[in-house]
Amino acid sequence: MSLAYDILPVTLVTGFLGSGKSTLLADVLTGDAARDTAVLVNEFGEVGLDHLLMGEVDTQTVLLDNGCVCCSIRGELKDALAGLFSKRARGDVPTFSRVVIETTGLATPAPIIATLLADPVIRSHYALKATITVVDAVNAETQRARYPEWLAQISATDRIVISKGDLTTEPHINALKRSLHALNPLAEIVERNSSPDALRELLFKPARFAPDSVQSVSEIGAGTVRLGEGGGRLAHRVAIERNAIVSSCIRLEEPLDWQVFTLWFTMLLNRHGDKILRVKGLLALEGAERPAVLHAVQHLVHPVLHLEEWPDASRASTLVFITEGLDGASIEASYRRFCAALEVAA
Amino acid sequence: MCGMCGLLGGGNHWSNTTVPGAGTGVNGSANARRQRLLQAALANRILIPLRLRLDDFHGQSFVLSSPTGASEMVGDFAQVWKVAEQMLGRPLDPLTLFQVDEEEHA
Repeated sequence: MSLAYDILPVTLVTGFLGSGKSTLLADVLTGDAARDTAVLVNEFGEVGLDHLLMGEVDTQTVLLDNGCVCCSIRGELKDALAGLFSKRARGDVPTFSRVVIETTGLATPAPIIATLLADPVIRSHYALKATITVVDAVNAETQRARYPEWLAQISATDRIVISKGDLTTEPHINALKRSLHALNPLAEIVERNSSPDALRELLFKPARFAPDSVQSVSEIGAGTVRLGEGGGRLAHRVAIERNAIVSSCIRLEEPLDWQVFTLWFTMLLNRHGDKILRVKGLLALEGAERPAVLHAVQHLVHPVLHLEEWPDASRASTLVFITEGLDGASIEASYRRFCAALEVAA
Repeated sequence: MCGMCGLLGGGNHWSNTTVPGAGTGVNGSANARRQRLLQAALANRILIPLRLRLDDFHGQSFVLSSPTGASEMVGDFAQVWKVAEQMLGRPLDPLTLFQVDEEEHA
């Protein structure tokens, strides 16, 4: 019964209402990919419809229909995941080797990630592999201006799939890509019209801690990116200014003292976690040959991983912050003051 | 787990991660314990001027105490700052912490 102790990879698929999450999954999960994948669907509303679109994976689809994953049913998500695992172990469902959670369009990803990271039972059986966000090319601007959930989904994601590209123009898509890149410079952006194989790869590849994703962190370079610099329409700018989301990159040449860093970072998240939408960092730690990878979404920090080797010749620590109402310069100054006060080199 | 005292390691909070290469096995757990004491000592450099004190509790939790005799057990550093703020009755903001000292020196 070795199956009972496997740790299954989980892919979280988010995207605003009507962005095409279910269609993407229905297209991607066909044939062998469907047999090997269990899908948890969360539907907000009286009647759960989404599972009807996924006939191919019906036997392994669990519908969470009591409301929104983001607030009311974290316990239910936990129960569904635990139930799915025990059914798999007992052989009540066909064996699968990965899980996809499709959230409601109104869910912010942080509480779902919290359930996966913090619950002792779930943590032992499932590991979050990647977060994918589907963006509706036609309605992106309106959704961005009106719904904070949209921004939370974009800022927390690892990869973005632009859907409905065929309903709009090429320049519009390019402008959208630029603004998405400015919002989350760490996310890989692809269009929905890629081949099913490419989309499947996108859905399941474990890119979050892979060296290529870390490479992108070190390529961003120091400085703060003020969002809205890429042009765009006035309505866009107003929305951006109102949200005041900035992405900034902090580069520290000297190796970090890990103890001081954890004190500073826990204190920062305790006070400003709700304004820190996403942090991704490649850290050079004092006394360690290998770099450490840090991921955080709001108050949540993923388990720290240590890469086998550095992605390039640079040995500087790089931290990318996507924040709302906090600027990178004051975060960096705060860290340096912290180090100075505790008398270690920053 | 420590084979001598039967205590579990200090929980799975990310701040308990130890630096790799600093020892594995028996040395690794010694390293984790050492890191914990160092963290508590460094935290006290912040907390003692505020008249609070943090002590390691059997490598498993921390105890945060105030001069009025209040003491509370906390699991990890995310909780330490939250409880410290409650005891102090004011926020502990790393963006402004130590700023005043710096201005006074200038």
